[in-house]
Amino acid sequence: MKKIATAAQLIAEKPFYLEQAEELHIAKTAYHNGLPILLKGPTGCGKTRFMHRLAWELTRPLITVSCHDDLSTSDLIGRFLIKGGEAVWMDGPLTKAVRTGAICYLDEIVEARKDTTVVIHPLADDRRELPIEKLGETLTAPPEFMLAISYNPGYQSVLKDLKQSTRQRFVSFEFNYPPPELEARIVREESGIEQPLAEKLVRLATMTRSLKDSGLQEGASTRLLIHAGKLIKSGIQPRTACKATITETLTDDHEMLAALEEITSSLF
Amino acid sequence: MPDAALDEIFRQIAAIWPVSHALCNSFLKAVKKGLTCLHHSQLADWVKTILAAYESGGLHQTRQLLERVEETFLCTIRGETGISLAEVTGRLQPYATGLAGHPLELIPGQEVYTDTAAVYLPPGIAVFPKQTDNFLLYKLIISFQWAFTAIGTFSLHLPAGSPAIPAATRRQRTALPPACTGLNDYCNLFAKPAVAAHLFHLGETARATVFLREKLPGLMRESGPIFQALARTIPRGAEGSTGDLQRTILLRAAEDTGETPSAPHPVTSLFNGLFRENATSQDSACFATKAYARFLDLTGEPAPPIIFQGVLRPAEVLAVQRKKRAAAKEQFIEALTAVINAQTPRNAPGEKEKGEVQGTGFPDLEGQTAAVIPPEGAGKDTQGTKPQGEKTLEFITIDDSHIDLPDKLKKLAREIVEDLGQIPSQYLSSAKQAAGKGLAQGNAPAPREGEPLAGADLFIFDEWDYRRAGFRKNWCSLAVKKIIPVAGTFVGNTLKRYRGHLTRLKRQFEMMRNQERFVRRQKDGDEIDLDALIETLADIKAGLSPSEDLYIRLARDKRNISALFLVDMSSSTEGWVNTALKEALILMCEALEVLGDTYGIYGFSGMRRTRSELFRIKDLGEPYDDAVKGRIAAIAPQEYTRMGPPIRHLTRLLAESEARIKLLITLSDGKPEDYDDYKGEYAIEDTRHALIEAKAQGVHPFCITIDKQAHAYLPHMYGEVNYICIDEVGKLPNRIPEIYRGLTS
Ligand SMILES: Nc1ncnc2c1ncn2[C@@H]1O[C@H](COP(=O)(O)OP(=O)(O)OP(=O)(O)O)[C@@H](O)[C@H]1O
Ligand SMILES: [Mg+2]
Repeated sequence: MKKIATAAQLIAEKPFYLEQAEELHIAKTAYHNGLPILLKGPTGCGKTRFMHRLAWELTRPLITVSCHDDLSTSDLIGRFLIKGGEAVWMDGPLTKAVRTGAICYLDEIVEARKDTTVVIHPLADDRRELPIEKLGETLTAPPEFMLAISYNPGYQSVLKDLKQSTRQRFVSFEFNYPPPELEARIVREESGIEQPLAEKLVRLATMTRSLKDSGLQEGASTRLLIHAGKLIKSGIQPRTACKATITETLTDDHEMLAALEEITSSLF
Repeated sequence: MPDAALDEIFRQIAAIWPVSHALCNSFLKAVKKGLTCLHHSQLADWVKTILAAYESGGLHQTRQLLERVEETFLCTIRGETGISLAEVTGRLQPYATGLAGHPLELIPGQEVYTDTAAVYLPPGIAVFPKQTDNFLLYKLIISFQWAFTAIGTFSLHLPAGSPAIPAATRRQRTALPPACTGLNDYCNLFAKPAVAAHLFHLGETARATVFLREKLPGLMRESGPIFQALARTIPRGAEGSTGDLQRTILLRAAEDTGETPSAPHPVTSLFNGLFRENATSQDSACFATKAYARFLDLTGEPAPPIIFQGVLRPAEVLAVQRKKRAAAKEQFIEALTAVINAQTPRNAPGEKEKGEVQGTGFPDLEGQTAAVIPPEGAGKDTQGTKPQGEKTLEFITIDDSHIDLPDKLKKLAREIVEDLGQIPSQYLSSAKQAAGKGLAQGNAPAPREGEPLAGADLFIFDEWDYRRAGFRKNWCSLAVKKIIPVAGTFVGNTLKRYRGHLTRLKRQFEMMRNQERFVRRQKDGDEIDLDALIETLADIKAGLSPSEDLYIRLARDKRNISALFLVDMSSSTEGWVNTALKEALILMCEALEVLGDTYGIYGFSGMRRTRSELFRIKDLGEPYDDAVKGRIAAIAPQEYTRMGPPIRHLTRLLAESEARIKLLITLSDGKPEDYDDYKGEYAIEDTRHALIEAKAQGVHPFCITIDKQAHAYLPHMYGEVNYICIDEVGKLPNRIPEIYRGLTS
């Protein structure tokens, strides 16, 4: 059997999430109105974390599916399995979420095959229905169910664009790197380092972000800063930690690597 | 001259000749002198610098650079050692940009200074025996020069009655006139302005030291020994002399607080007071004013500046500021004009008589200060203002009418207020006037009758007028012409020049061609799909009809992509840009031939709406043969850049193609602009609309540009992710095929 990355959880502890604008409030309002949501933004800027927090606030279980180009419709909806000579139906994550009134989060939706993307259409409009062909039944989603998808509009490939007919079904949220003070707080809380160090990491990130288009494909994400912070917290020298978690992660270009090291060595 | 040197010269000629013949001549004249300074193995580096200078500054400036080889390069022949700027630019340019948050250019020059848009540095540094130390010194120069901008050295502002204003002046006038608050004006209050500037600069360097210790502690720690070493080179002078103060800076920077005299001279203690985090540029000015007399007593001649300190060039900073300001003003007026027009009920601009000023719903502004937005806390010049008390500017008030600002305009307004303290009323009245005149002002002349268009197909297009949110019907005509191929060495040379790169490109593109992947659940195939089989067995058990799609097959996807390249042939591409574009096209064709995508190439230019021109270089699906190569070589700069008609035409061509993915890639060097009123917002909006039409037809537009200002308008035209800005012309040939690869995989 192919393994599908699925996780269903009722989140027990309040996840740490700092709001940038009113996104939690708006998402909750969307939820109460039965509207699905679309999260877009660069990698590592808090989309997944936001979903965790939202699920906690709504006290719904969260089922996350990481999409990939081999994800088939059965992987989402379900299939028959043979158990002890009997055919047994197994709900896929999406079906499970609809049945139990959970939040289903399809991460990186553009990675999934186009025909797979289409199965969410009837769920994402006002019908809120999930047809299960093999069972010959159509589920209607309870009010507790919510569909959420994410994608990174930064990819420039024309093959990885979200179709209008898909995206126009969703309430959209744009995520971006938080403003410096907020980001420093996030880094501090998540990695346990001291405030001044967190501020320095954020400064480093800001510098790499201004190099986007002048040699870097992407600047350092919040996630990378947290990684660096964690290594530093565990006793690794800041410069070494930044090299391992940030500079080497961002580029392979030698000149750019050298330049980034000049920046880190100035900061730390 | 040794043969090896001659060979090298010939090799370099091959690099310069295609860029500019005139430049090549100058190079040949200068090369003999150059070789008295450089070893011939360094010629390639020299030429690289020269070409870069040509690209950014044109022929005249480059000729001067050629003349001054000793100043740009370390003369190895003459035994000079050390490290050269050319060697370290690759590493330090991103460093500078990262610090500043915007491109901060590094330029070789005789004196160290910054104009806030660039840092001028010595072409070589050989202060220390160790190269790492010389490198660190470069880094220090950049960091300090950036720090001056960051701590506000160039935005010195002295309120009337400030203790920094020398008493003699204060007695003469009760207050400084508002125009007298800049750095230049401050220095001119003294009999010897240079001395005042020097002292002020010392104070600012003290502040910069504190600032950098805060912001770049790593750098400052590492540079400790360098500061110490530099301090040792300064001769001991009297207390309070400039040399003494410089040494204080260096020792403080090195965090060496060993020797502090018990009862320092008042000037020294005043100076020491600047080494605190909340000191301001006004404090530095106070210091300079107080130290001025003492300093004149001592020597009268300032010590040469510390190397990273450099000199202040307020005039050049002002020039950069003015340029920025002028650009902001133009943008603001343009944008506001559009807003006023949009909010004015049915004015139907463009249909009005020429020159007639129409009512815009506002009382006439004749001679009034209409509206200003005060910055926070700035209480001056409040006549006729409506204080907002808010950080964000939501609207502007012209007389009694509120104008709500769209986001873009809000941002511009904020920048202007930050810079000038207010929105000058003239900006508003200009916008209002422009709005009143509407289009009438710059209407294109009627098409000339019977203009000969032999050998060309003629197409008529509508043009989008954002001010009326509608089309101007049948507004432009586009002539499609063929380029006469030229025979020559251009293509051959390009292929030779990029031989290595081309091999790699072809391999990469070959790999894209074989987009093989396993597809599951097929009726037939090479292997059994176990997942599908198990599922089917289960389905049978469940009483469902079994699926027959039980195989896995290795599928070779046909790429099914049609791409059209639209090349800017406006006059601004003259020279180096044109060459780079052509080279890029050749590489692109070679790579695409391997890949097998259908593609075509067109160039565009023209003048006025009646004569847009599209040059056919290669039609979709036309074989890449000698004629095509000859036409690429024949691409030459023409006139203006009216982008709407060619985009609309190519959209039509693409729409007719059967391909699943249709790409329209524009290669350009700047904004759309024509000779007539096709400029600014109007041109951008028409182009944007043409692109929206293209998208509606299933065409993916993408833009590759070398315009450094592109970020200001391309996201609006193409969308946030549908463009790429290449910061160096020289990178075009290598980058374009890579971008294509990224786009289509
Ligand atoms: N607003 C925030 N509040 C709290 N933590 C945050 C916030 N933003 C980012 N983070 C931190 O950044 C890390 C990365 O965020 P997350 O995993 O949610 O990114 P993502 O947007 O889902 O990225 P990807 O697109 O790569 O999946 C999280 O582990 C979290 O620690
Ligand atoms: Mg995620």
